Formats: sequence, structure tokens, C-alpha cells
Amino acid sequence: MTLMIGFLIGCAFGAILYLGGASSYRNILGTLLLKDMTIIKLMMTAIGVGTLGIYLLDLGQLAHMSVKPAYLWGIAAGGGIFGIGWAVSGYCPGTCVVGTAEGKLDAVATLIGALVGAFLFAIAFPSLDALLIQNANFGKITLSDLIGVPGFYIAAAMSAALLFLAFFVLKDRYE
Amino acid sequence: MHDKPIISWRAAGVSLGLLLTLATYLVSPLGVSTQFVVTDAIALHSIAPEMAETNAYLAKYGTKQDWGVGYGWMLVFGMLIGAAVTSRALGHKQPEEDKGSMPRLWATQFGPSRIKRLSAAFAGGLLLLFGARLAGGCTSGHMISGISQLAVGSLIFGIVTFSVAILTAKFLFRQRGN
Repeated sequence: MTLMIGFLIGCAFGAILYLGGASSYRNILGTLLLKDMTIIKLMMTAIGVGTLGIYLLDLGQLAHMSVKPAYLWGIAAGGGIFGIGWAVSGYCPGTCVVGTAEGKLDAVATLIGALVGAFLFAIAFPSLDALLIQNANFGKITLSDLIGVPGFYIAAAMSAALLFLAFFVLKDRYE
Repeated sequence: MHDKPIISWRAAGVSLGLLLTLATYLVSPLGVSTQFVVTDAIALHSIAPEMAETNAYLAKYGTKQDWGVGYGWMLVFGMLIGAAVTSRALGHKQPEEDKGSMPRLWATQFGPSRIKRLSAAFAGGLLLLFGARLAGGCTSGHMISGISQLAVGSLIFGIVTFSVAILTAKFLFRQRGN
């Protein structure tokens, strides 16, 4: 049953990314060059709705949250490497799957590169673990733990700010 | 002008936020990059099981008995199917510029060589997953799901990733001296 739910949620996820233009090099680079705001507005809206939804569920103890640990050096180094790969390929791990489904060969190349990258990380993991992952690891903390305010209030404020920015402040294009 | 994505960023963003909420209610939030490791682990288990079992990282994602195909892997498999079906059904509405394996923006800056585009895409993919596994997540797991859960590590990932990606894009597309 859980497998079927995963499959159906994945189908919807893939369809939304395709329909919203997230698998398009032009749209991704447009956002990273700070010219076309389509994708960043899509993400801000998704987070704005998602954070409110998750913390509403949480009020009723219904959210199956999965907070990732905050290890500063590994996340900063990994995020930097990821950022370069994102700008060079124009895809992220999810959208290269979508592009592959569309039959785009550059997305297939990214997907194969990604499988190789994951394998190289598996080989490098023992030598990176102590230095970058166990070091400066603050565990699975949220903003709520950090500033001591209930998560719902922070989520509501962040949601309002993100949706306001996306819907009323940012333009669609900047020249 | 026939230039915009098939659905607006508003429609896509709201549906993605609701989908994330539904996933968190039913099982757990959205994530993609872990499943590349699971896929590697599955492949290596069939080619070189000894190596897969002895690697400290791959061994976490599946054993000879259990290949690690769970909710997360089915989700990524679903993305492939969902996008394939949708793009076949509604491809005629997709802007021409967003189709094909050679983006016009890329060709304008780096030339029409297919080898060059595919090599860059491969290298980019390699960096994406090495970085994502080091950081513990990607655009979906860290940025969309993680920031929605107010995770501190995910906020750091989002800030670093966007800053470096913007600088890299600005560098790649800097004006060439004429």
C-alpha cells in the first residue's frame, strides 16, 4: 500500500514539475540569472503552502515529519557543489528524471552523471564522514527549536511572507 | 505569445505545496536524491554483491535480501511515469523552446556542439548527486520539504545552493568581449 501511495504521489510530482516548466533549461537558467522568476515563484508558493499545511497537520499530531540533521560543513560544501552542478546542467535530481521522461538527451546525460556522482560519494563517504558530517553537527533542529517559538507561528509568518513576495512583489521578468 | 509553461507558477506551486502536505500526512515528505544511491546499491548488488555489502554507505540502502525499493524509490519511479504520460498527452501545449535536447539559450552561449552539451550535462549531474549526498538532500528533500518543515540545515542548504548556483550561472553567461 505504501508503495502504491509513493508511486501515485510521484506521478503527480513528475506531472506538476513538467507542466510548470521546471524541466526547462531556459526557465532554470532564467531564474539563476535573475531574469525569469517563474521557477523561484513556483518554489516560494510550494513552500508557502507546504509549510502551512505541514504545521497545520502538526497541530493535530498528524504530520509524519522528517527533519534532516544540520551539519554545517557538509551542508555548506555539498550545497556549493550542488549549486555548480545545477547551473551547469540546468537540472536538479528531480527534474532530470522528468526531462528523461520527456526524452531529452541532456537530461539522460545528467541522470547518468547523477548515478555516477552518487557512487563516487559512496566511495568517498568513509573519508568525508568524520570531517564534514559528524563535525559541527547540530542534529535534527528546526527554527522552532532554535528560537523557542511554536512551529506553527513561524510557519504562518514564513508562509505569509513567501506568498506575499511571490504574488505581489516579484515581477515575472527582470531585464 | 505561446511562451509560458503549460500551467502557471501559481497553479504548479499551490498543487506542489498541497501534494507535499498530503505526502507528509500519508507517509513522509518528498525527496529524490537518496534514490540515486538506492538505484546504485541495487545495480551493484547484482554486479558485485561483495563490494555493495562492504561499502559503508551503500550498505545502508539495501542488502542482498532487501534492495531498498520502498516508498521513496516508487515515488521517483512514479515521477518518471507521471512526466512521461503528461508530456505525451500535453506535449503539444509545451513551448517549442522548452522541447528537445539542445536548449537554445545554451547553444547561443556555448555553440551547437551536442558533445559539449551532453558532457556538461553529465558533469553537472555528477556534481549534483555528489553534493546532494554530502549535504543530505536536494531541491525537493532539502529546499521544498526541508524548508517547509523549518529545518535549520535545509535553510542553510537553500541559501548556499542558490548563492553558488547564481554566481556560477552569472559566470557562465558573462558577456564575452567582442
